[in-house]
Amino acid sequence: MRVSSYLSLPLALASALWSHATSASPDYSEHLLLQPLPQSSLLASFNFRGNTSQQSYDNQHFQYFPRALGQILQHASTKELHLRFTTGRWDAENWGSRPWNGSKEGGTGVELWAWIEAADDEEAFAKWITLTQSLSGLFCASLNFIDSTRTTRPVVSFEPTGDHKRLENLHLLHGTLPGEVVCTENLTPFLKLLPCKGKAGISTLFDGHKLFDAAWQSMSVDTRPVCPADGDCVVQIEQTVDMVLDIERSKRSRSNPIPRAVPNDQLACDPSKSYNSDDTCYPLEKASGRAWSLQEVFGRTLNGVCPLAASEGESEQPICLRVPDERQVSYSEGVVEHRKADGYTRCYALSPSQPFDLSVQEQDIQQEVPLEEPVLHAERTIVGHGQERGGMRMILANPSKTAHVDFIIFESLPWYLRPYTHTLQAKITDANGTSREIPASELVTGTFYRPAIDRERGTQLELSLSVPAASTVTLTYDFEKAILRYTEYPPDANRGFNVAPAVIRILSAPNAAPIYIRSTSLLLPLPTPDFSMPYNVIILTSTVIALAFGTVFNILVRRVVSVDEARALGARTLKGRILSKVVVLRDRLQKKQTKVE
Amino acid sequence: MTDKFEDHESRHSSTSLKSVDNADNQNSAQRVPPPETPEAIQTRFRVIAAFWAVIIFLGFPIWWKTTSIYRAHLPIQEMTEWSEGKICRPVFPLEIQIAAPALQMTESQHLVRTTQHALDDLNEFAAHHLRLKLANATDLSDNGASMLSGQNTGDGADTALTVRVLSEDGLSTPRSELHAETTQLDIFYPPSQVPVPSSSNPALSVFIAEELQRLYSEEKATIAYILSGGTSGPDAESISRRLRRSMKYADTYHLSFSLFTPGAAPTSWDIEAAIQEYLAPLLFAFTPISNFTIDTQVQMYATFSPMAPPPLFDEVESAWTLKKEDLSAFINAAEWPLNPSIGNGPTLNFVLYVPDPSQSPMVVKENRASSWIIPQWGGVFLLNPPLETTDSSGSRTNPAHLSQDSLRPAFMTFSHQLLTLLGTPATPSSLPLRLQSMIRVRAAALLLSASSTMGSLARLTESLPSIPIPATVAASVAKTLSQLSATCSHLREGRFGAALASARIAESEAERSFFEKSMVGQVYFPDEHKVAVYLPLLGPVGVPLIVGLMKEVKRLVAAWKARRLSKA
Repeated sequence: MRVSSYLSLPLALASALWSHATSASPDYSEHLLLQPLPQSSLLASFNFRGNTSQQSYDNQHFQYFPRALGQILQHASTKELHLRFTTGRWDAENWGSRPWNGSKEGGTGVELWAWIEAADDEEAFAKWITLTQSLSGLFCASLNFIDSTRTTRPVVSFEPTGDHKRLENLHLLHGTLPGEVVCTENLTPFLKLLPCKGKAGISTLFDGHKLFDAAWQSMSVDTRPVCPADGDCVVQIEQTVDMVLDIERSKRSRSNPIPRAVPNDQLACDPSKSYNSDDTCYPLEKASGRAWSLQEVFGRTLNGVCPLAASEGESEQPICLRVPDERQVSYSEGVVEHRKADGYTRCYALSPSQPFDLSVQEQDIQQEVPLEEPVLHAERTIVGHGQERGGMRMILANPSKTAHVDFIIFESLPWYLRPYTHTLQAKITDANGTSREIPASELVTGTFYRPAIDRERGTQLELSLSVPAASTVTLTYDFEKAILRYTEYPPDANRGFNVAPAVIRILSAPNAAPIYIRSTSLLLPLPTPDFSMPYNVIILTSTVIALAFGTVFNILVRRVVSVDEARALGARTLKGRILSKVVVLRDRLQKKQTKVE
Repeated sequence: MTDKFEDHESRHSSTSLKSVDNADNQNSAQRVPPPETPEAIQTRFRVIAAFWAVIIFLGFPIWWKTTSIYRAHLPIQEMTEWSEGKICRPVFPLEIQIAAPALQMTESQHLVRTTQHALDDLNEFAAHHLRLKLANATDLSDNGASMLSGQNTGDGADTALTVRVLSEDGLSTPRSELHAETTQLDIFYPPSQVPVPSSSNPALSVFIAEELQRLYSEEKATIAYILSGGTSGPDAESISRRLRRSMKYADTYHLSFSLFTPGAAPTSWDIEAAIQEYLAPLLFAFTPISNFTIDTQVQMYATFSPMAPPPLFDEVESAWTLKKEDLSAFINAAEWPLNPSIGNGPTLNFVLYVPDPSQSPMVVKENRASSWIIPQWGGVFLLNPPLETTDSSGSRTNPAHLSQDSLRPAFMTFSHQLLTLLGTPATPSSLPLRLQSMIRVRAAALLLSASSTMGSLARLTESLPSIPIPATVAASVAKTLSQLSATCSHLREGRFGAALASARIAESEAERSFFEKSMVGQVYFPDEHKVAVYLPLLGPVGVPLIVGLMKEVKRLVAAWKARRLSKA
């Protein structure tokens, strides 16, 4: 019904609605952006968006919204959900700012935050546990391990993105699993949520082998209610997959995936360097003119279009490629290319039910697609040594020459890492490289701190900071490592304990979409005992007790006699009697032998 | 003193002898030490006794207290008796009101008496019997309202059926007419056959009795089958087949309607209107028995499993056919999102499958059927909508939208499948009567299943002495037993709605007590573990203690024997 009414919409209106970021009207749309990045990488950014009306969502009539997820959200009264599966690291120095301004990615592992409608905090937490348990089953991830120690309630770091009628009953809960390994078993349920299920449209490019082989990848699921000013509310689900593939690595054939050394004469060496001998080579950084095609990089071609998304008309193209206009690109027949005015973007309108491939030729090019410089560089490490104490160091660099940058750092630390906030120190380094210590309060404009309770909840620390133009701030604080109970250690205790990445929300202009940066996750080595300890303890204490007891008991019970008396007594004991019997037997045998002789 | 002297002397002699004869020395030199003083023996006895007293009165109780497992008391005897059916013999007395407005009081009383007599003669299953009662004229009107729910507001028995005996001209033999929407049976008889009080076995009474017997024959057979534990009964085969298909009873069922298609169309259906039109009245009729939640979904690109045998084209039928034995592989469980709904209660799945245009129409090979039931899971309907020809390429596609009218056959089938899956008997034709009959069958089944769960629990706790029994289990068992006896008495008095409610609680409490999580934990704690923990301590400590005890006991026995000998 909705589709037919939608079909009757003028095409121009449809395209206008699509270009609007929070538009609600197309029931389903999907989009793919391909962009080569420096150092032979390729960013592929997939986006799928489906809408369903609030009324049919409430009545559990699911069409573009997956039933399994919808029922979970309704059961847990979750109004807005954000789920992220991320592996790898985004190399901001080479690749520039993050796709979607970081709003569609999570920290390494799994990150989940949701706005839950509940009367009070306890009810919200109970529903949160229901939500994590159900999602755990749906996505085959260990989300059920998000317990109270891994759950925080951020105050200023996240804002709801949907249109909610009653904000006062909504509770924001946030949980992370930094140690979770994201893999194909998470991709399969992710694909099942799509209406075209990886059988048609851009989702046909997903291959677990390639996706999880990427240098960086992030899968996200967001659901939120959207209420346009005119018209009824809809519930929107948006799924994205962003990945950075190494083109060289992806082009290796599946049957022969082992990298081979390039023969010496084929090496491209930097001739500007001086060489001592023939067998040395400084590799020449190739200009980014590598050849690639969808078939080579993804291992398969794109299979037609998802008919639900195609119905929105010819004016919007599902696949866009960002390369300079001079670059030669060939594509399958029956496909229409549209070039955008910016000189870098070209989009392709596909014909339904025909495979689509795209190949970029190898070419020496002078011009590059300009990459956006990130607003802030952030780095976070654990410093210090020893089993008892350590320190956290964050290096925050503002590359801008003119503008200062305001942001909020959100840290959720496990309870066994006990920070001392009074040791928070700041050092500022300006563009000339001169650094000076300054009181942290000069930079930190606001703090929200919720201390940990052992085995119940972790530390939650939100700092709002400002870094002046062209300077680098180093924040440090000390922490103490707790000693865990014997059963609290995981099987691989000596590997270290994962500490969730810090989330940095950059406060740009009001009403603008927020920019998020996530640091890498950390490994915290804790003092680990020898795990055969309990048995040793049992045996050792038993031995000591037995020794003490035996001595005391013997002194109390034994009779004290002199040595020869003891010998006399010995004849009457069991041992003595046996010995005498043996003697008698021996004598008898000897007698027999003499008789024989 | 003398002792010491002798001792000294002998030692002296031995030293002197040693030098003379070494061999002789062996016997003569071994001097027995002086016997222990009675005080020393007494002290040793006290020491050992004190140690053992500490062990027995302090150590052992502490060990017992700290390692014992809590086992709440369960009425094992009563539970076993319930499971063996010794406590309750369920009976099903159905009250049937007979209204004969045209007859005189005495005539109708006679009719009731003779019909009852005829009924009793026909009935061979004692647990299920019909009790006739003459209806007051006032009763009749308000009975109609409460009839549908099958429940009575008062304390008396539910009225199962109202028989109206009416005279009609121009009939040679009596005829009956069952109202499909109410629990009313009309009997028309020729005026000539008015039973005279003198006749002992009037034709009208026999006719009514046979009609009633026929109405309740399926229910009787089912209950007989359930009560006998699934062995006896005239047509046990068909009943067991029907019972195996149906779901276990639940308070709430989730109904999940899914539209699957292997291609890109259809993408939408008039599901809300279809459910409202075709299914809602049926679900409303079920409200006294169970509640329902409904969810629906549309799934495109739902292909068959690669393992499933593909449909074959049949030239004769000019249709794609699925073999009957391959229907079990039709549902692609790995890929189709048919996960159960969240919340308590089982999910019933109804799959509407629209085949790909290249495989349309699709039917079952053996009987050209387009639908089938998957026992205890749901139903499937193959919908072959008329194909549309797209103007551009001339290929034929499925319509993008399924209208309410095109869903009508599917939903008629689904509602029929729903009745079967819920265990509604196939006869009689009146829906309220079938629902009432289902209440009785369900109550009987729940009663038996809860009783047998009690028996299993009793056997389990007796055969595994190392599992703990928490107090909650005892409470659940007590509640189950009380609800079971309530069910039994409700049944005896003919209040079947109340009996079902009690049986429901009994069943859920019985399941809760049987599947109590904390009872399982201890079972897997092996005895070898205990040995490994206790032995390092008890070995070195225990051996001297036991040897000391044995010596003392031996000494005491010897002393006692000596004393007796000396007495003798």
